[in-house]
Amino acid sequence: MIFVIDDNRMMAECIAKACGGEVKIFGDALMATQAIDDGLPEMIFMDAMLTGPDGFTMLNELISYSDTMKIPVVLITDARFDNLDLSEYGVVGVLSKDTVTPAEVRAYVEKYC
Amino acid sequence: MDVEVDGILVAAHELKEPLATLRQLAFSFDEMSEPNELIREKMVSVSDRAIRQVNDLLKLRRLESSLPEMSPLAVRPVCDEVIRELEYLFRYNKRELFVKFPGKEQLAYANRELLFSVVYNFLLNAVHYTGDEMRAEIMVKPIKDKIRILVRDYGPALPMDVWREMQRGWVEKPTSIAMRPGSSGLGLFIASKFSKYMDAKVGAVRHRDGTSFYVDLMRSKQMSLF
Repeated sequence: MIFVIDDNRMMAECIAKACGGEVKIFGDALMATQAIDDGLPEMIFMDAMLTGPDGFTMLNELISYSDTMKIPVVLITDARFDNLDLSEYGVVGVLSKDTVTPAEVRAYVEKYC
Repeated sequence: MDVEVDGILVAAHELKEPLATLRQLAFSFDEMSEPNELIREKMVSVSDRAIRQVNDLLKLRRLESSLPEMSPLAVRPVCDEVIRELEYLFRYNKRELFVKFPGKEQLAYANRELLFSVVYNFLLNAVHYTGDEMRAEIMVKPIKDKIRILVRDYGPALPMDVWREMQRGWVEKPTSIAMRPGSSGLGLFIASKFSKYMDAKVGAVRHRDGTSFYVDLMRSKQMSLF
């Protein structure tokens, strides 16, 4: 199972389609965090700027538990994180919303799922 | 950074999102899982919203040199038109819209185009901030010599800085992107500017489970002449 978290539902659905397989879409971090209690996702694609608690609040939550800290996270965002090492937050990649392609999303899925 | 440059940055950010969404939707044509007709419907909805936003920004600039034409105006048909235009977006995002209008038609003294944009931006904000499977509400009610159009959403509470600005009567500038994840507040900024041009007052009420935004328009005395 893959989680896609984005408050832009259309964007989230496009990313979900690119992932293929079993995907759950969430509009905010709170709902996604609650869903993690029901079962760990194999990986997460997430926007950094979300309505309510933002992506970094979610990342902090994920790295604070031994099981969730291992979930690979890919940020798909407008924000720029040039030269920033986000691996300690479990972030395995950052994709720009402006240039991301379904092939790039699928490449991450093939690598981590 | 001066207000104008900050405003341009916020507008650019807001307009980039629909373009990025359109780009992703264009990729969906390759997927066989969704009929092309549905993808086209989404693309039209995203484009319509972006075009309206650009038109609002252009209107804003034009209003700096000429005042809007005001006339007595039935409020309900304007609200109905906005609701029709945003119906798809509410349905698509799984939000319900509850509508409450008074039995008697209310006439306000306003500019039709600007009022449309004010209600449109309030409702667009409600789509964004209302949670999945939850509802937003639009109400029209007379209050003394004013007519209030109120849009209530059920989502995260309004940030204190935006609320304070609304209490002062209008939003001074779009809120910095970094300060308010998820929205730049451009819609509220446009709504408050347009309201000011109509001599109307915008405001917000914070609730524990969301926010109500309202605009108080001058009530037209035309009906009372009869």
